[in-house]
Amino acid sequence: MTITAGIDVGTGCVKVALFETGGGTVRWLGRRVDRIRQRDPYALTAEAFDGVLKEAGLGRGDVAYTATTGDGESIAFATGHFYSMTTHARGAIHLDPTTRLVLDVGALHGRAIRTDARGKVLSYKMTSQCASGSGQFLENIARYLGIAQDEIGTLSLQGTAPEKVSSICAVLAETDVINMVSRGISAANILKGIHVSMAQRLAALVRGIGVLEGTVLVTGGLGLDAGLVAAIQEAGAEAQLPVQVRSHPDAIYAGAIGAALWGAFRHQKLAAQVAASPAAS
Amino acid sequence: MPAPTTAALVTRCQALFDDLSFGAAREWKAAAAGRRVVAYMPIYVPRELIHAAGMLPLGILGAGENLEVIHGDAYYQSYICRIPRSTLDLGITGRLDFVDGFLFPSICDVIRNLSGIWKILFPKVYVHYFDVPQNFDPEVGGVFYRQELQELREALARLAGRPITDDALRASFALYNQNRRLVRELYAFRAGAPWRAPASETYLVLRAGMVLPVEEHNQLLADYLAAARAEERPRRDNCRIVLNGVFCEQPPLSMIKAIEMSGCYIVDDDFMLVHRWLLEDLPVTGDPIAALSTAFLSGSTENGAKYQPRQELKGQYILEAVRANAAEGVIFAAPSFCDPALLERPMLEKVLDRVDVPHIGFKYAENSAQLQPVREQAGTFADSIKLWSTP
Repeated sequence: MTITAGIDVGTGCVKVALFETGGGTVRWLGRRVDRIRQRDPYALTAEAFDGVLKEAGLGRGDVAYTATTGDGESIAFATGHFYSMTTHARGAIHLDPTTRLVLDVGALHGRAIRTDARGKVLSYKMTSQCASGSGQFLENIARYLGIAQDEIGTLSLQGTAPEKVSSICAVLAETDVINMVSRGISAANILKGIHVSMAQRLAALVRGIGVLEGTVLVTGGLGLDAGLVAAIQEAGAEAQLPVQVRSHPDAIYAGAIGAALWGAFRHQKLAAQVAASPAAS
Repeated sequence: MPAPTTAALVTRCQALFDDLSFGAAREWKAAAAGRRVVAYMPIYVPRELIHAAGMLPLGILGAGENLEVIHGDAYYQSYICRIPRSTLDLGITGRLDFVDGFLFPSICDVIRNLSGIWKILFPKVYVHYFDVPQNFDPEVGGVFYRQELQELREALARLAGRPITDDALRASFALYNQNRRLVRELYAFRAGAPWRAPASETYLVLRAGMVLPVEEHNQLLADYLAAARAEERPRRDNCRIVLNGVFCEQPPLSMIKAIEMSGCYIVDDDFMLVHRWLLEDLPVTGDPIAALSTAFLSGSTENGAKYQPRQELKGQYILEAVRANAAEGVIFAAPSFCDPALLERPMLEKVLDRVDVPHIGFKYAENSAQLQPVREQAGTFADSIKLWSTP
């Protein structure tokens, strides 16, 4: 059995996933999410990694491959690094094997990644222009409204008359929100409006990439936002996209899961190369 | 005195790299009366001729990302690369006011035209357009090149105010032979253990050779090699790539770092080919001009700015770079509007495609600030090699 770790250093959070693989089985050994909150992400990463290992009764030396993803390229103790699209695709396939498109929505970006059944990235599209399609923007608005982050999804689902906000520019969108507050629009309808706006941008990515089957899995920090997932489902239905849009309770770990599993795959591949080399025979 | 560490050496090289007033070369010139400095541009000039005249060869590779180009834009259209504009800005703003001569080698039309502009703008500076042969028959290109070299030798002697003797040339050959050997050693060391000599460091060490006297650069190379060999550094599971197309206008240093951070070890490149243009030692006996000519005709590196008359050999050098360095892929990075690099690329890609060597390509300018697309391309390229390539 091989123990591998995946560390996803995002803009808002550090996610660590620890796995044991071998003989066709994959078993979680540990996981942890830490919000960065203006702390040193590298020190936090080391602390989170060691914490997960300690809980599992392991040390760094027990890990055959420690893979980073996201902004974790400079982490000194990593064995290797995988680009975040590569890891989100693999993580999504692990969470839901019917996934053929991943919508990775994080603090600063949204991207659609088309994958095959192995988790190999086939193509991708990213949101551009502005932060108005990102988690950071949503977080800012929630702060202005005095709403805790974990309330955003629940409140948004209560919205019945969503107000339209700019989907192009975060500054314009924030102005829209200020106007809505002064007009007495409820927080639920404001949040629903923002989710609808974000969902339309993300649905456009799905349409643009041309996925025709399987599941669209929403991953990243906003994969846990039920309001956003519902808005994407509605936007997908309106656009008559022939796919199911879903999330997963562990969606926030998709990058870390993918990194750990690709690490295991890579470890095996390197071992096979060593075994096949003339020096080994 | 303890041996210098790689960190200390790289810090010094970084300071030389950042200094757009070329303080080291100015100091060298000021250290003795009558000293002269001769600048040159990519790709190749016979620096031995300058050195043998007692002058300092100074490599100019544009102004990088830290100089706002203001004057240069008045001389070149928007569809021309950035190196001539920023070089003009270096000149017009007085940063090259200590330079006594400037050699513009034959690499492309833009650099040739820059030699004309320089002549007009700086009439007191000795300006020489240095032509090189594109015919490799010793009786044709060889005769032509020997004449060019002799003409340059005489012009440099006039600038220096003293003759360039055969003995002085041979002494310079010996020093530059040592420099080339050390550079080859550095490349070999990096190809063997790229985590111990990252390309972002070797680049700076080589770049220092553009502004330092060869004697000092030789010591620097030896010191860096010794320090790198003595230091253990963590090895990453990165793929091994050859970087091609970066021989003239330079990418920002952060781009080299971004490629490495994305999961690629650069095991070969074509940065500052002047250090590696001649593949073997120049003989320190016999006719030195004939030696320089023969080395260029039959013992020099291949590149997009050099004609390859035999079609079946076209582009084989990239394949050789891949094989010799056990590379797993090639990243083509070329300056925007660089004719030699961008016209060469499809021919090289064809050669790589024939044997299934993966490759990607992108363009840059010396002041490119948006490195996210580079990270994205290099990162996904590294992933595809690590996960999906067959050994």
